[in-house]
Amino acid sequence: MSLSAETRRILLEAAVIFILGVVLGLSFNYRLVMNAFSGKEASPVTAERPETGRFPQPAELEEVRRLMDEGATVVDARARELYEEGHLPSAISLPVGEADPLPGSFRERVPADSPVVVYCSGYGCSDSFDLGVLLLAGGYRDVRIFEGGFPEWTDAGLPVEKGEP
Amino acid sequence: MDGCRAAGRKGGALSRGTVLVYHLCRLLLGGLFLYAGAVKAEDVVAFAGNVANYKILPYSWNYLVAATLPYVEVVAGLLLLFNRKVRPAALVLGVLTAVFMLALASVTLRGLEIDCGCFNPGGEGHTGPGAALLRDSGIMILVFLTCRLRGRMSGPRR
Repeated sequence: MSLSAETRRILLEAAVIFILGVVLGLSFNYRLVMNAFSGKEASPVTAERPETGRFPQPAELEEVRRLMDEGATVVDARARELYEEGHLPSAISLPVGEADPLPGSFRERVPADSPVVVYCSGYGCSDSFDLGVLLLAGGYRDVRIFEGGFPEWTDAGLPVEKGEP
Repeated sequence: MDGCRAAGRKGGALSRGTVLVYHLCRLLLGGLFLYAGAVKAEDVVAFAGNVANYKILPYSWNYLVAATLPYVEVVAGLLLLFNRKVRPAALVLGVLTAVFMLALASVTLRGLEIDCGCFNPGGEGHTGPGAALLRDSGIMILVFLTCRLRGRMSGPRR
């Protein structure tokens, strides 16, 4: 089947439009995409800057597992009932609604220089980011957000713990 | 594609009503995608989260799609609004919409209840896959009409 000259022209111009859009997008977001592909943290580019002037940084699943192996503290920002139904191994429950100010028991349990990984119910959930901001404001220096959260963890077939904090 | 390829050769005069319908479709389609692209380009990271919710692409590719797709929508939308390269621009948007519909059908089949992420990444609004599929069907009709009517209009190639 041969295409008419007009059809070829339309296809070619459509391809040019697509490529132009991709090049524009890459030129505006070069650093973000490069970071995502190089395995570094893809830092938010437009999120509201918290008072501390720093963001909690996102971490993907493999990085979260590595941090956990290295002894990072894992914090579950979801409601207590969800935590009791299932949570990441050794995770501490700290629902974001109970974290301002940070409870003394949490401060006693987690030293400020300990790396902290916060998660909630995945990409559609902002509790982990909000809690991350509170932790940074509360003096914690290394706070990561596991953006895929509990759904990505269970989808990967990784073990969960149940029960009260 | 058939609609986009259609009868430029006929080149006959069209009624004013048909010309009006063409411009309405073109402006509506262009405005819709210019808006959709602009709001997503504003918050690429939140949009990457929306893309990730579909659970189709590997982690890094969600960022690549989120970084580029809004700009393709903006470029094609602007061309439609300015009545330039109308059929190629509409074709790009038609192909994108077809891909969106496949992705939405896939999440529906997998029973995922996610926000489609079509317009306002990380915002309050929520459009489920079913409603988004219906809306995309309407957009496909706009794409078809824009291509078809542009093909039937006389004048310089656009």
